[in-house]
Amino acid sequence: MIPPPLPLNPVSPPAISSPLIELRSVVKLFKTDAGQFTALKNINLSFNAGEFTSIMGKSGSGKSTLINMITGIDHPTSGYVRVGDTELHKMSEGKMAVWRGRAMGIVFQFFQLLPTLTILENTLLPMDYCNSYPLAEREPRALNLLKLLGLEDTAAKLPAALSGGQQQIAAIARALANDPQIIVADEPTGNLDSSTEQLILNIFEDLAAHGKTILIVTHDPALAKRSTRRVLISDGELVDEIVAQALPMLPHNLMLKIGQTAIPRTYPAGAVIARQGALDEGLYVVTSGTVEVLSEQRFRAPRVVGKLCRGQYFSELELLEVDYCNLCFRASTGQPVQALCLGLEKFNQLLNETPSAEHLLRQAAVDRGVQYCQPTGPARSFWRRK
Amino acid sequence: MMAVTAAPIITLRGVTKAYKTPAGDFYALKGIDTEINPGEFIGILGKSGAGKSTLVNMISGVDHLTTGEIWINGVAIHRLNENQAALWRGRNLGVVYQSFQLMPTLSLLDNIMLAMDFGGLFRPRRSREQAMNLLNEVELSEHARKLPANISGGQQQRVAIARALANDPPIIIADEPTGRLDSTTAEHIFHIFEELVRRGKTILMVSHDPGFVRRYSRILWIADGKFTTTPQFEIGS
Repeated sequence: MIPPPLPLNPVSPPAISSPLIELRSVVKLFKTDAGQFTALKNINLSFNAGEFTSIMGKSGSGKSTLINMITGIDHPTSGYVRVGDTELHKMSEGKMAVWRGRAMGIVFQFFQLLPTLTILENTLLPMDYCNSYPLAEREPRALNLLKLLGLEDTAAKLPAALSGGQQQIAAIARALANDPQIIVADEPTGNLDSSTEQLILNIFEDLAAHGKTILIVTHDPALAKRSTRRVLISDGELVDEIVAQALPMLPHNLMLKIGQTAIPRTYPAGAVIARQGALDEGLYVVTSGTVEVLSEQRFRAPRVVGKLCRGQYFSELELLEVDYCNLCFRASTGQPVQALCLGLEKFNQLLNETPSAEHLLRQAAVDRGVQYCQPTGPARSFWRRK
Repeated sequence: MMAVTAAPIITLRGVTKAYKTPAGDFYALKGIDTEINPGEFIGILGKSGAGKSTLVNMISGVDHLTTGEIWINGVAIHRLNENQAALWRGRNLGVVYQSFQLMPTLSLLDNIMLAMDFGGLFRPRRSREQAMNLLNEVELSEHARKLPANISGGQQQRVAIARALANDPPIIIADEPTGRLDSTTAEHIFHIFEELVRRGKTILMVSHDPGFVRRYSRILWIADGKFTTTPQFEIGS
């Protein structure tokens, strides 16, 4: 094994396969002048050690509230939150501060470096506050972290002398000071230009590669693409992750609804799932196995024109829009297919309610038809005959 | 009319600041001369890139001047080394920035006590008492145990002001302190600064908000690295 370049404690694999972070039935209510507001509605969510997750959602969707439950910055109204061996929902604020300082590194959008302290002193703060390293080790460790992040030249400077990007990297150095297992970042690149954003993302990727568990709140899809897992929150509820992966073009509330109403079904290996004139459901989102797309044109042997795997979808619209090549969706012969299915009626109802979504899905179906049935599709020969 | 009997608390003489760029030296400040008297409420106004922040960074010691002199309360701060400057700054200057810069993992009370700690004036019991008094002054003592994320932006800025006052410095430097706040909250924050001036603090505030122009005791308009007598407003503001 190549030794890790960052001065992090070796990460031992978790003894048991239980997730590092676990939220069960978490509800958060806020009382406002206008009445009660439910920011989180029964959240069940877990993260394994070493995952690099982006938490996405519109502003006001509850993503920062969700993160605040995990950092212990805020408490759930009801429910269970566990990080490692620590049950946060039972902890007092006093104990929490020290626990948080050691277990979590937190990075905020506006850096939050203390303006009157140098970059080095800022990096030393968490070690001083938690008394986590012997006094003599603290400064060399802080300098080493700054060096690894390319900031050694700024150690003696005050934050205001640095660019925004450098300040954010310094905030990451500070977050790493106590070598926490978990790094939480709330819109860490929201205030930076795109080249600096890339630099910050490289650092997070590198940390994830060294076993850190990383949670980033963002509404930037480009950033989310770099993470290994995406959690989407809409109106205080989690969108089914597979649905969000399969149908990213849909409005968040629609994805949420699909995830909540779809029913899991299993199709044995080789079974036909849907074909022209024989369709049970409106929408299928594949959760395991492989769906083969066959073109069954008259007077020709059926041929496989496409394959759909976990995180991909197909719908009634493909059969309607691509009727010229007579598609058939079938479970591959190797293994059964599991899919989340939305009934015809419900699917059509959703499309009627959201015309923009219907347009997008229809367009996607037409595009797929071109992909499946070119270059020898009957549409062409029709024109040739004419 | 302002009485000008007192000696100036801040004196700048021929201050220039050059940055090295691939295209040669870029002068962000081109010879700044001014005297600021105790108790003045100075607005430093100008367009983006005019040199406003560079100017206050020279005074707060964030950055070093290229040529010239800065005297504050009889101390030639351009001659201090890093360590002397840090200690001097901790006791003589309070700084407030646009984005609050509170330590997110510490309670409001701890954020203020931390500043006392680094000013070299920390005495555990008295410091806690003083920090509570400061929070009380900005009407946030009931939130003392909360973390910054659990209060509003305007409240966070009030904590940042309380922190700037931690070591009771005679001078406060505020760089766009209302830049991220809505107008009602901005008004509240500005009012706190006015109150501090009334109590004898000297305040230098960088801003490009034209709304407060009439409320400074003096405005230093800055354009292209020099003072000007022509008011400078951003187009559209």
